[in-house]
Amino acid sequence: MGYKITKKENLSAIDFFMEVEAPHVAKSWKPGQFVVLIVDEKGERVPMSVYYAEDGKIGMFIRRHGVTTFKLWYEKNVGDKILSVAGPLGKPIEVKHYGNVVFAADAVCAQAECYATLKAMKEAGNYTIAIHSFENRDNVYPERFLAKSVADEFYITTEDGSVGRKGHYLDVVKELIEQDKVDIVFAGGKLGSLKKLAELTGSYGIPTIVTVRQIMVDGTGMCGSCRILYDGEVKFVCRDGPMFDAHKVDWDDVIKRDARFVEQQNLARERYIAKLREKGVI
Amino acid sequence: MTRKKPKIIKERVPTPEVPVEERVKSFVEVNLGYDFASAVKEAERCIQCPPEYASCIKGCPVHINIPGFIGKLIEHRDDPKKAVKEALKVIWSDNTLPGVTGRVCPQEEQCEAPCVMGKVGDPINIGKLERFVADYARTHGIEEELLREFVSNGNDIKGKVAVVGSGPAGLTCAGELAKMGYKVTIFEALHKPGGVLVYGIPEFRLPKEILNKEIAKLRELGVEIKLDHIVGKTITLEELLEEYDAVFIGTGAGTPKLLNIPGILLDRIYSANEFLTRVNLMKAYEFPEYDTPITVGKKTIVIGAGNTAMDAARSALRLGSEVTIAYRRGREDMTARIEEIQHAEEEGVKFEFFLSPVEFIGDENGKIKAVKFEKMKPLEERDAKGKRKIVGTGEYVTLEADTVIIAIGLEPNKIISEEASSLKTNPDGTLVVDKNLMTSIPGVFAGGDAIRGEATVILAMGDGKKAAKSIDEYIRKKHLSA
Ligand SMILES: Cc1cc2nc3c(=O)[nH]c(=O)nc-3n(C[C@H](O)[C@H](O)[C@H](O)COP(=O)(O)OP(=O)(O)OC[C@H]3O[C@@H](n4cnc5c(N)ncnc54)[C@H](O)[C@@H]3O)c2cc1C
Ligand SMILES: Cc1cc2nc3c(=O)[nH]c(=O)nc-3n(C[C@H](O)[C@H](O)[C@H](O)COP(=O)(O)OP(=O)(O)OC[C@H]3O[C@@H](n4cnc5c(N)ncnc54)[C@H](O)[C@@H]3O)c2cc1C
Ligand code: SF4
Ligand code: SF4
Ligand code: FES
Repeated sequence: MGYKITKKENLSAIDFFMEVEAPHVAKSWKPGQFVVLIVDEKGERVPMSVYYAEDGKIGMFIRRHGVTTFKLWYEKNVGDKILSVAGPLGKPIEVKHYGNVVFAADAVCAQAECYATLKAMKEAGNYTIAIHSFENRDNVYPERFLAKSVADEFYITTEDGSVGRKGHYLDVVKELIEQDKVDIVFAGGKLGSLKKLAELTGSYGIPTIVTVRQIMVDGTGMCGSCRILYDGEVKFVCRDGPMFDAHKVDWDDVIKRDARFVEQQNLARERYIAKLREKGVI
Repeated sequence: MTRKKPKIIKERVPTPEVPVEERVKSFVEVNLGYDFASAVKEAERCIQCPPEYASCIKGCPVHINIPGFIGKLIEHRDDPKKAVKEALKVIWSDNTLPGVTGRVCPQEEQCEAPCVMGKVGDPINIGKLERFVADYARTHGIEEELLREFVSNGNDIKGKVAVVGSGPAGLTCAGELAKMGYKVTIFEALHKPGGVLVYGIPEFRLPKEILNKEIAKLRELGVEIKLDHIVGKTITLEELLEEYDAVFIGTGAGTPKLLNIPGILLDRIYSANEFLTRVNLMKAYEFPEYDTPITVGKKTIVIGAGNTAMDAARSALRLGSEVTIAYRRGREDMTARIEEIQHAEEEGVKFEFFLSPVEFIGDENGKIKAVKFEKMKPLEERDAKGKRKIVGTGEYVTLEADTVIIAIGLEPNKIISEEASSLKTNPDGTLVVDKNLMTSIPGVFAGGDAIRGEATVILAMGDGKKAAKSIDEYIRKKHLSA
């Protein structure tokens, strides 16, 4: 049992790339859908976006966040197995001709989705614009992992201007809208940025579809852990999303619910780091 | 040999239980069951009504020959192995998971309710006897022995069947078909098979060891289990029909109903499914040794009064919280098994009746801090299920709580029916089936909670068994006409 790791590569100071054999997922995955993986017997079920799915394998970008992702980075190497990969989950994005399509990303999950989404959008005849935002030079990925090859226009921003433009995708999106170059925006990443994006594009009336991250357990609509208020109704992100119209999401609640287990996560992370130190790994 | 005319013994032979102080600190099984001697003693209380008349048989949804299996215990009382083997044979012809049903069936409403002994004293403890047979057989190698005798030598495979979902319905259907000589593949969305038996019902009520053994048995019968496969996403129903001769859908009723009242997004409000899945399936009670977290405060309110509510309440108690069950109806309307209600009470769970939640009140950090309830009152009039109707009184109370678990019911998960649009559903989301349990798509059968809504383990198993028969007939016909 288990799913073999076929590639692993560092992307930046905080993120890495991993490819896993999961033919059942790769066969039917479509952009917008995600997987739920479990590292080992004691592991948590965690959702991950998919960067690509081909030849029976799926690629993922993973941030070294806490115990699960630390285990993936420090304990699992090419040839090793992870316990479970379930999916694809969630609804695919509607791929069709929209005109000018922007994908804006400022965190790991969205960096993966940017490539996958724009590739499909370009094949559907859209003009594609990719915006990858990073905090600083250390966090920027090598260009071959970004959406350059599928983007008609391509931007990198850093907060300190050390690579690409100084600023954030929000600045670029605003400029592009003012140049009348945007028919629809797709985005994902930090929830705080998505809230601001929703305000920005809302004021211009630009359709905006974003990935809403929520804490999940099963990922199949069985537990309600991932519930949000959407247009006044309770929706389950894993089943009804994960992509939603950003203008209908109650962002303050989404942000609060993302912090539900912060104390436990920190505790587990500290405990894990202490173990790594003990073993001399770090 | 003629048996002495049985002496009427009014009282049940008791089964030992782990003392309250000990069990509230752990997830060990509460009831310890009978040993052989006490099982025989309880069996001897049964007056062995003739099977044609035995009212207990009529009360069991799958009509197990109850006096038959009890009789074997009495008959071979000097040879425990033989007694159990013979008894298990009788049970197995109607029920392949007695270790589960003996523990979780609402016996007081089913087999034990009409038992004639109940008219003069306690009804026979049929559930515990059934459990005893299963447990003894499992731990003494009897099950394996019998299994080998049951299996048809599998050289001539009669066809291929896909089973969707590995709850009691799916497991039973798969087992029955495998015994008939079909090649069966189970597709399960989660990373462990068992459905509610693995993610819902806690260890202290149904040790996972029992389920693991059942699954191992199925694998021995040649059943393949594909975990992490969500039918409708990973693979479609149509694709299954291309590869298999027939499909059985046993996807259960796994989607929690949540209260549509203000504050539902507050932290530490869990659906019972989220709570129980974190605790049981993911072992959050061993966090941080296990990676999945759960947070439970000092005061938990559980809303609802079914088995799910009792399981959630008793789990929260074991995680160190004070627990109150708040129910909008009265004590006699609670739907949980009596044994679970008794255990909950013994362990210190408090009950509040005639309270219907209207609002969840949060603190400045977005955590639940209290629940506002409307007081309800019962009317004389009864609803379709025979329960007294209730109405609001316009009076409110607010109870403090730093954790809330909502256990007000479940509905079918729509993943399959959304994807396969020709699969007809009822307004409540359950699948439409005919008398042979075939859905609106030829060759696709369904059973268990997926067609009934929230029901019971034994009904799900009954459906699995019935569907296996229908599938066998369907495939035979198909091959004949081909
Ligand atoms: C639809 C979706 C797609 C995602 N895609 C990616 C991705 O491509 N790459 C990536 O690195 N991360 C992605 N995530 C987040 C990913 O699930 C978390 O990185 C992971 O759970 C972290 O676990 P941890 O133990 O390493 O860290 P923790 O210390 O446990 O948590 C760190 C962060 O991850 C979030 N998180 C923790 N557990 C869960 C959980 N069970 N479900 C959801 N979020 C959780 C927490 O809110 C916290 O912000 C995605 C989340 C969702 C919902
Ligand atoms: C907490 C709790 C306590 C209970 N206690 C009792 C009790 O004491 N006694 C009793 O008789 N009954 C009890 N019940 C009810 C009983 O468990 C159910 O009636 C029974 O499990 C239904 O069986 P099933 O096989 O139909 O479905 P389930 O047990 O729900 O199993 C369905 C399975 O299908 C899988 N699945 C769903 N969708 C898909 C898909 N698209 N693709 C692949 N797999 C899928 C699910 O992951 C799950 O494993 C309880 C229920 C709960 C929730
Ligand atoms: S299956 Fe359930 S109802 Fe039937 S005899 Fe066994 S315990 Fe009683
Ligand atoms: S009704 Fe009661 S006494 Fe009669 S056979 Fe059934 S269990 Fe025995
Ligand atoms: S993660 Fe359980 S319902 Fe979405």
